[in-house]
Amino acid sequence: MNARDLLGLAGIIPLLPLVGAALLMAFGRRLGSPRAGWLATGLMAVAFAWSVVEFAALLSLPPGARSHVSIIFTWLPADQLHVNVGFLADPLSITWCLLVTGVGMLIHLYAIGYMRGDPNVGRFFAYFNLFAASMLILVLASNYLLTFLGWEGVGLCSYLLISFWFERSTAALGGKKAFIYNRVGDFGFMLAMFLLIAQFGTLDYGATGHAALHASGGITTAVALLLFLGCVGKSAQIPLFPWLTDAMEGPTPVSALIHAATMVTAGVFLICRAHPFFDASHSAMTVVGWIGAATALLAGTMAVLQPDLKRVLAYSTISQLGYMFLALGTGAYTAAVFFVLMHAFYKACLFLGAGSVLHANGENQDMRVMGALRRFMPFTAGAMVVAWLAIAGVPPFAGFWSKDGVLEAAYLHHDYGIWAVGVVATIMTGLYMTRLILLTFFGTEHWRPSDTAAMAAVTGGSDDEPDGHADIEAELGYDPDYLPTVVYGEPPRTPRLHDHEPHESPGLIVLPIVTLALLAIVGGLVNIPLHGFTHLDSWLEPVFRGVTPPVAETFAGAAALSATALGFGVVGIIVAFVFYRRGLPSPADDPLRARLGVVGNVVGHGYYYDDAISKAVDGPVRAFGTFLDRDVDQRVIDGAVNGIGHLVRRAAEGLRRAQDGLVRRYAIGIALGAAALLLFFLAYAGR
Amino acid sequence: MTDFPILSAIIATPLIGAVVVVLLPGRRPEVIKAVGYGFSVATLGLACWLLADFSTKKVFFQFVESRPWLPSIGSRYIVGVDGISLFMILATALLIPIGLLASQRYPAQRPKAFTAWFLLLEFSLMGIFLSLDLIIFFLFWEILLVPMYFLIQGWGHERRQYAATKFFIYTAAGSSLMLACTLILGFIHQSDTGVLSFDYRVLAAWSWHGLSGTTEVLLFLGFLAAFAIKVPLVPFHTWLADVHTEAPTAGSVVLAGVILKMGAYGLLRFSFELFPHASVDLAPLLLTLGVIGILYGAIVAAMQKNLKRIIAYSSIAHMGFVIVGIFSLTVIGLDGAVFTMISHPLTTGALFLLVGMLYERRHSYQLEDYGGIWRSAPILTAMFLAAMFAGIGLPGFSGFIGEFLSLAGTFVSRRPWAVAGAVGVILAAVYMLWAFQRTFMGKPSGINLKLPDVSLREVMVVAPLLALSLFLGLYPKLAIERIEPSLKRSIVNLELKTHFREKRPKGYAPTKLPGGVSDTQSIQLGRGAP
Amino acid sequence: MTPPIVHPSINWLAISPEIALVAAGVAIVMLRSVLRRRPIVVPLCTVVAISGVVAAGAVQYRLWHLLRGHRAMTTIAGMVRVDPFGVFLGVVVLAATVMALLLSVAYLRREGLEAPEYFALVLLSAAGMLVMTTANDLIVVFLALEVLSIPLYVLAAFDRRRLSSQEAGMKYFVLGAFSSAVFLYGVALTYGATGTTSLTGIARFLAANTLLDQGTLLAGIALLLVGLGFKIAAVPFHMWTPDVYQGAPTPVTSFMSAATKAAGFAALLRIFGVAFPLYRSDWRPAVWALAVLSLIVGSVAAVIQTDVKRILAYSSIGHAGFILIGFQANTSRGREAALLYLFVYAFMTIGAFAVITVATRRGDDHHSLDDYRGLALDRPVVGGLLIFFVLAQAGVPFTGGFVAKLEVFSAAAQANEYGLLIIGVLASVVAAFFYLRIALTLLSARDDGATAPGGLRRRVDVWSAVVLVTCVTLVIVVGVVPGTFVHWARDATFLL
Repeated sequence: MNARDLLGLAGIIPLLPLVGAALLMAFGRRLGSPRAGWLATGLMAVAFAWSVVEFAALLSLPPGARSHVSIIFTWLPADQLHVNVGFLADPLSITWCLLVTGVGMLIHLYAIGYMRGDPNVGRFFAYFNLFAASMLILVLASNYLLTFLGWEGVGLCSYLLISFWFERSTAALGGKKAFIYNRVGDFGFMLAMFLLIAQFGTLDYGATGHAALHASGGITTAVALLLFLGCVGKSAQIPLFPWLTDAMEGPTPVSALIHAATMVTAGVFLICRAHPFFDASHSAMTVVGWIGAATALLAGTMAVLQPDLKRVLAYSTISQLGYMFLALGTGAYTAAVFFVLMHAFYKACLFLGAGSVLHANGENQDMRVMGALRRFMPFTAGAMVVAWLAIAGVPPFAGFWSKDGVLEAAYLHHDYGIWAVGVVATIMTGLYMTRLILLTFFGTEHWRPSDTAAMAAVTGGSDDEPDGHADIEAELGYDPDYLPTVVYGEPPRTPRLHDHEPHESPGLIVLPIVTLALLAIVGGLVNIPLHGFTHLDSWLEPVFRGVTPPVAETFAGAAALSATALGFGVVGIIVAFVFYRRGLPSPADDPLRARLGVVGNVVGHGYYYDDAISKAVDGPVRAFGTFLDRDVDQRVIDGAVNGIGHLVRRAAEGLRRAQDGLVRRYAIGIALGAAALLLFFLAYAGR
Repeated sequence: MTDFPILSAIIATPLIGAVVVVLLPGRRPEVIKAVGYGFSVATLGLACWLLADFSTKKVFFQFVESRPWLPSIGSRYIVGVDGISLFMILATALLIPIGLLASQRYPAQRPKAFTAWFLLLEFSLMGIFLSLDLIIFFLFWEILLVPMYFLIQGWGHERRQYAATKFFIYTAAGSSLMLACTLILGFIHQSDTGVLSFDYRVLAAWSWHGLSGTTEVLLFLGFLAAFAIKVPLVPFHTWLADVHTEAPTAGSVVLAGVILKMGAYGLLRFSFELFPHASVDLAPLLLTLGVIGILYGAIVAAMQKNLKRIIAYSSIAHMGFVIVGIFSLTVIGLDGAVFTMISHPLTTGALFLLVGMLYERRHSYQLEDYGGIWRSAPILTAMFLAAMFAGIGLPGFSGFIGEFLSLAGTFVSRRPWAVAGAVGVILAAVYMLWAFQRTFMGKPSGINLKLPDVSLREVMVVAPLLALSLFLGLYPKLAIERIEPSLKRSIVNLELKTHFREKRPKGYAPTKLPGGVSDTQSIQLGRGAP
Repeated sequence: MTPPIVHPSINWLAISPEIALVAAGVAIVMLRSVLRRRPIVVPLCTVVAISGVVAAGAVQYRLWHLLRGHRAMTTIAGMVRVDPFGVFLGVVVLAATVMALLLSVAYLRREGLEAPEYFALVLLSAAGMLVMTTANDLIVVFLALEVLSIPLYVLAAFDRRRLSSQEAGMKYFVLGAFSSAVFLYGVALTYGATGTTSLTGIARFLAANTLLDQGTLLAGIALLLVGLGFKIAAVPFHMWTPDVYQGAPTPVTSFMSAATKAAGFAALLRIFGVAFPLYRSDWRPAVWALAVLSLIVGSVAAVIQTDVKRILAYSSIGHAGFILIGFQANTSRGREAALLYLFVYAFMTIGAFAVITVATRRGDDHHSLDDYRGLALDRPVVGGLLIFFVLAQAGVPFTGGFVAKLEVFSAAAQANEYGLLIIGVLASVVAAFFYLRIALTLLSARDDGATAPGGLRRRVDVWSAVVLVTCVTLVIVVGVVPGTFVHWARDATFLL
């Protein structure tokens, strides 16, 4: 069969994990660990293989023809609006398919080891596969509505997986928070679709794309900004970012797959998909760029002093996503996609590594009570060091090329402001990542119970657990009373390692980490800004036809830009070394924090943004709701209803008083009535 | 089998069932339940047959029957079905057996009376959705109060007497005005044309040019009084929460599932055709009330501490989407409205059933009594999750299609309202997820640790609803292609009778009936009259 | 030289129903005096009474078929006019009578009141009512009024051991006499204004001449309205109703509520329809006021009542209001509606009182809602019947009550009496509240697990059963297939 027929079968990619999800929901409990995991992973592997097939099929076609829509059936035929379930196979969607299935497969594999022994592992992998399916539908969809289906699907899975350990209050809250923040974004997405229907009468990517070319500026800007609101929610940009840090309550594979590698990049994908509207609206682009830049910088600062291993990575993800939007805002779509890919590699590696560290430390996430772990878990340490260099933008690692591409594009696009912010933000990247690595793997050991016994009192989840915890943990696979997340300002946790020492994780966990580390080393090769090496640019060229990001006139110029970016990054690394080369003197005091003082508190608390929101919600918002419920609903409205009843009752009492059983009173009644009638007839009537 | 009076059969079967159940000896409750269940299933079978025979081509009423009833006021027994009523029939026929099945164990006392009343409830609902004579319509509309009243009163919870009476009186007050306006309408028609008839089609053909502007508005308001209370529109909604909290599970299911639709159905069926000018002129007002319903219902729902009250207020929000869709006066919006009317029974029905199951285990609706149920009852929780997300409009479930189309249609005709309404999509997530977290997540304690999970019967009760919701969410075509002709008729009818012109998405051809408007049709639409 | 006295020709057929009743009554009295205290006497009298009513009914049936299709027979010098209208209401009266008698059989035995006079009184009163339905002359109306009232006074007080019964009789008598006087004064004034008491004569006179001073006539009309308003228990002439209904023996109450209303409305409709059609613009507003007041008082006042018989008394006031709506419309549709309403009402109210008769325990003075609590749970059939009858009176669809209300409302709508229409529908909603209150009480379990009233007497005697079944059947049939009955009512609207 020829390439087009193959492309017509792109729908198989999401179908595979979907089937997996269905199977696991039905029989997951019976399969149990690890078989459920293997089933899910296997299907992901097949999906990956099929993505590769589709990739090859696309390659076999001439660049101009690398786009094929296969319509399965008509989903929503309302009036003259016809929304199909159709899959659009083109370089952009297939790129994401490769990413989702590839990295997804690795993380599935990792999860087999990580979730071993969890009684609900069937449910876990059902969600995991469902997530993959939704994400693939999202990227393969041929129209906005179907994308929205996947969009909401991933949101659902994110909710379910964050709250997977639902007996932990923080996990329950985290999931809810994530979903609601995303809903705010979806509000924008939906309005964008309404606008498309009203203006163009269709939701197809192709048709709207063409229509966008000759639509009025107001419309395109509106569509672009509304869509961007959706992306802001999904990709945790300012102002809708706080949910991502709380999303770390989920099991670590979830954080790696959903909240680092794939789902959060859906926003980037959507903007690439809808790029005609953004191309047509310069103002929208500016907004995107600046939001991205601001997020990159601010989230970077927030990460610097976090004590929690996973939360640092979460803030880092927000900041890195900022870079991607920064790129999109400067029209450098390919640079953004390139960044997405590289980021997926090293950030997934970092998260999985972090998971491995947690695994070795009895679910302890507090970096302040780690240190010098490299000797106990060499592979993890090695892989994470590689990922660190990559994210910090040290050549020749992947991150260097991607970040360099983004910043260079911004500069050449003459968005110097954005470029400057982006460059400054690299300091933060270097700083917080280096701090993370040093505190975790280098410096002095703080994980031995002895030197922190003093703190046992102040901290939750100490070693001497009340009876019954053991069997609950056996039943649930985790301890519901132990809340792993450590927020800034909290005293250091008691290490949870009892008699034994930290240990390297089993191979099933290490293998994916190492694989991703390798990818983080060599990944850059897909798009090195040297003539002949820009594979990704030429691959995606048909998608972004007509959008040609400017290229540096001279190699020197490009090199200069790269050098600047690198330089700033190195500054961050050096600063980190200055403060943390020996790790922490003691878990309680953090030299950099001490140095930063007030500023430290502000950035550490994430500029109190999240606190402010929750204060507002608990305060005025709740008060308003109570007012509506208590006063308006129960008092005024229902009061009026019952009031009528009371009125009738009152009238009845009056009548009863008249009806007192005295004949003379009755006679008077009759007489009065007669008199009234006479009066009426004589006075009114007869004329 | 074209001559078989299937509609009358659909109306009669439950009635016969009720009589049979009453005549059965009371000693063997299981027999009574089985018989009642059998009759409701038979009705469902007839309804499915109707669905199969229903033609997607016809624009006007199908399977019409007409017999004299009360000649002195020219009222005839006229029944007919079109795309709007078809799915109301199906929803009713589906929910009644499910409600009966759900009440197998609980409430236990007086199964005979319970089954009989429940079948009478179905009887009246079928009559409401099928009758085309205003008097007959009112007849069924009013008789519905009786079985509902006795169901709440006899099998409800603590404050059931207050709730039952409130329900009866409040809704009767609204419908009494409708009766007055019906009669006035009929006799104005008589004095105008000399014919005394309450055939809805006859009146529809005349009212638009036979009534003066103010009269039309006043009569419309009279009908609105009945419909607004049933929908319910804020501020006529306070009976709903009380009734839901006190009603037995099956009662709540039917109440939220079908009875609330009576109001919206009435608006769809009568307001456009009988009072076209008034509907067009008052559309902004009703649109606003709808949006208020969406937001107000959602916010107040978020404040409730009682599971049933939360779902009750969420129903108010959902019905807000219906109203918004109707009075967007666009085909897309109307599609959305009717689709929501189809989807809401499935999702909210499932939610009420699940809450009922929780009640049977825990004997409380209060959130604070729950927590961590997920551990002890994973399957129940899974079903609740599905129902919840179907309810808050997750794409893939039917709820989303309805909300999306309603808002899309509204956006086409009146943007600000659509934007305001879309906020409700956010709020829905807030209160439902909150309730879910409080009920099913967190650490269970005490009795919550060992609540039994759902039985197979209970799964069989809820699963069909969820499956249907999913199916309709993925293949709404099935419903929409049957609904749309009737809705296009409503729009064309408005355009024929008034200066109203539907706002259409850019590049859409104006709405036409399949095969255009032939003369006879245009007469039925009232064009034929002078 | 005085002119010879002309003996008016008498159409015996026309007046034979009355004759049948009176004859039966007289026969009973004679039997009593002959047989003294033989145990046979009571059953015998019962048989006689019932057969008398049946005979009268048979004649009415005959008359109906004779007169149907707009014929009428006037006799006794135009004093009596037998027409479908009269016959229809006559049938209603007779039906009420026979049912009241059937109820009385077991009741009197239970209460130890067995006395033949009881039946005689009922028959005489019924005879008066029949005369009233056919009276074509104000004097005759007045006579009929007295003939029907005086036995009722006695019947109300018939349970002489019970204080409330005596009180009821006393009140009814005093106020009844008062209102009769007012009515008589109205007759006098009318005569003074028109020079005749014959309804047709009045009509002819008013058609021929225009009065220079209408004051006298209008005053007369007003007082006639008062007198009859008292009989039909229209506000503000209603105040006797609750006390008398509550105090009188329950079968008597049922008789009163159904038959008296029918007779009163017969006179009302006939007088105002025949004699004063030209003055409708004058009396319709007055009737409007009476209707509105009756509707409001009848529905509102009952809301807080706790005695079932009192509640039903107020409801009968409310029903008077609904019937007045039809009367006020002053159209053939209005009369038709009123007639149908009276017909249905007779069965709804007698049915309700029948249940009360059989459900209460000896003494007939335990009618508070608490006494009835849980009745429908302990005795589903009896309780269910009472619920059915109150719901029918509330106008629930598929019962005669609904059709009747529908008819009067449509009459108001046709007459453009929109205000009255709205008040009417709203009043029926308010009324629904206390009807539901009764249903609620019957269904809610007693807090002290004691059994419901009449727990001692479980089984219902056959005659009461007959009455109950008849009432239920008719109320349902009228509600489901009203066509025929409405048709009869329409035929009966023929007056002139």
